[in-house]
Amino acid sequence: MNAQNIDSKPKVRKESKNKIKVEFDRTPLKERLKAKFLSMYFLKKVVWWLVRYVLLIGIAYIVLFPFFSKISASFMDKVDFTDATVRLIPKHFSLEMYKEIWVEQEYLRAFGNTLTLSLSTALIQTFICSFVAYGFAKFKFKGNKTLFLLVLLTLIIPHRTLASAMKTSFSGFDIFGIFGLLNGGGISIFGFEYTNDFLASIDIIPDTWTRFTSGGIDLLNSYWPFILLSLTGLAFKNGLYIFMFRQFFMGVPDELEESAYIDGSGVFRTFFTIILPLSVPMMVTVFLFAFSWCWTDNFYTSGLMFFPDSNSAPYLLTTDIGGKIPSTLSDSNFAAATLYQGAIRNTGGLMIILPLVIMYVFCQKSLVQGIERSGLTAD
Amino acid sequence: MTDSVKIKNKSVKKKKIASLDKRKARAGWVFVLPFVIGFILIYLPVLFESLSASVTYREKIDGKWVETFVGFKAYIEAFLGDAVDGQTFLQVLITGVSEMILDIPMVLLFSLFMAILLNQKMAGRAAFRAIFFVPVILSTGIMDSIDASALDTYMGSNEGIDDGSGQDAASSIVSAMDVQRLFAGMAIGDGMLKYVTDAINNIYEIVNRSGVQMLIFLSGLQSISPAIYESVQIDGATAWETFWKITFPMISPMILVNAVYTVIDAFTTESAVMTFINTASQSLPAQGLAISTAMSWMYFLLVIAILALIAGAFGAYVFYQKKN
Repeated sequence: MNAQNIDSKPKVRKESKNKIKVEFDRTPLKERLKAKFLSMYFLKKVVWWLVRYVLLIGIAYIVLFPFFSKISASFMDKVDFTDATVRLIPKHFSLEMYKEIWVEQEYLRAFGNTLTLSLSTALIQTFICSFVAYGFAKFKFKGNKTLFLLVLLTLIIPHRTLASAMKTSFSGFDIFGIFGLLNGGGISIFGFEYTNDFLASIDIIPDTWTRFTSGGIDLLNSYWPFILLSLTGLAFKNGLYIFMFRQFFMGVPDELEESAYIDGSGVFRTFFTIILPLSVPMMVTVFLFAFSWCWTDNFYTSGLMFFPDSNSAPYLLTTDIGGKIPSTLSDSNFAAATLYQGAIRNTGGLMIILPLVIMYVFCQKSLVQGIERSGLTAD
Repeated sequence: MTDSVKIKNKSVKKKKIASLDKRKARAGWVFVLPFVIGFILIYLPVLFESLSASVTYREKIDGKWVETFVGFKAYIEAFLGDAVDGQTFLQVLITGVSEMILDIPMVLLFSLFMAILLNQKMAGRAAFRAIFFVPVILSTGIMDSIDASALDTYMGSNEGIDDGSGQDAASSIVSAMDVQRLFAGMAIGDGMLKYVTDAINNIYEIVNRSGVQMLIFLSGLQSISPAIYESVQIDGATAWETFWKITFPMISPMILVNAVYTVIDAFTTESAVMTFINTASQSLPAQGLAISTAMSWMYFLLVIAILALIAGAFGAYVFYQKKN
């Protein structure tokens, strides 16, 4: 006992003039391992680590499995669907479905159209929402709160409720009936009928502009409804974007703007040169939302809404691809026909979202960043 | 002479200088102008049109559309009218709304739990985050609207490969029976049990629907100052205490926001009630439009009432960290 104590005393040796070396006896490896790995603390950590990864991997599997199964089915040959032993990994690899959809459904043209539409609306929405939200966040004026409630109202009222009314309104778009009045339309005030043919009489509208009718301007089958809705912050979920931007701007310290004002910068210059560069991560987030939600939207672009001739018009969109079966593959006279056609429809769906997946892979870092910095709070 | 000059100066001054507050208010109006213009020129007419459609019957008589004002007849008709597809509007409304309300706690719990998990430092956090936010971008209905259910069940199942149990193993993750056995000794009602097992079996749907909520919770967690956690750690708080005394109160405003968002989301996306309303408009050609519009306005009012209830109930318990 005594000897051991003396042994474990640190030895001090003089190495040179100004240096000493102290040698300790280390605790034996076994003891150290015991202290490290047999404690409650370590056990807790391991269990938590396990639980966490099992949960995360499990849920990641739930999210990704449908995509995985769809992707693998899209590469299968017809033969594989009749073979019961083929499930998730194709035996006969084939690109037939992609090829047929690419050629017959004119994927490239649809892709170009959708890109134009989504990109333009998403860019407009991102800018307009940030602009409007800045007004709500940083300026005190009468009616600020009420107007913001109206923004939330546009978010809450489902566009489906307003769908038919919106379609009628855009099929004869007009501002207070002024245009229709000028273009040969009639108006009746207290039973007094008044018609005017002003525009026709001065003849400034070319005959090729067939959209101009006496009932207003027919904007269906064009991108204009989307652009008009985006320009005014009324498009799909724009209330949410305005809300997100507003929360973000409220977190920006006022001193930043005040110092800019003192240096002689105006309100708009401050917004464009100081606030906007600050909010790039947030803008990326909103842009991603707007872009992908426009890309996958099949309600507004459908025949029900703004594209009554969606199948034949030059406005073929990628969302028209999903759910359709190319005629060369529509043979349904074999055993697994329903499965095969399901797979074809899925392949169409995959081709719709493929550009989004690619974009997401590149942008997901800024998406998360934008969300983290948004400091969304409810007050 | 001098008097008139003075007056002139005065009037010029008055014109030139508006107070800073006034100028800022004016600038604020300019910023929100796009929305105001749109609201007045596009949204209000559409809103008005939709409301007026619900109080007029349009009928084609002798090739001409005739509109007759009927007041609240369509609303009454919607409630007392005949069943469509064997269900009345009231039944669909009750089931739809109760489902919506039951979904809220599930989505909230799940998204809060996942946000807390994803907020912790660990290897592969960025990858997990990227995976979990995939639904936000990709699941807006287009993939669901593509009918490929036959393929999905086939790919997910292992029928044909006999696992010896004699039952379809992959039809559901857990069956209520298994869980029932587990909880046999505890006095938990069957309804509660079914709720939980349904939640687990519908986990895919819940994951898909809680993407934005997860993002909102995550941003809320990020905005809590690490200094608070540090100081409670020094004071010796356990993880449990830290969660209930710090994280939970700090994140409670986000719970309110998410509850509201969940309701709005469930309400605005495709639901049983909306499908019913659409079929109703097609099955009744004469007054279909009026009745279906009336239905959707009533549904909207009900949801607004629910939102107000939620906001009121949660609002009493929400903790706000006052900044000034």
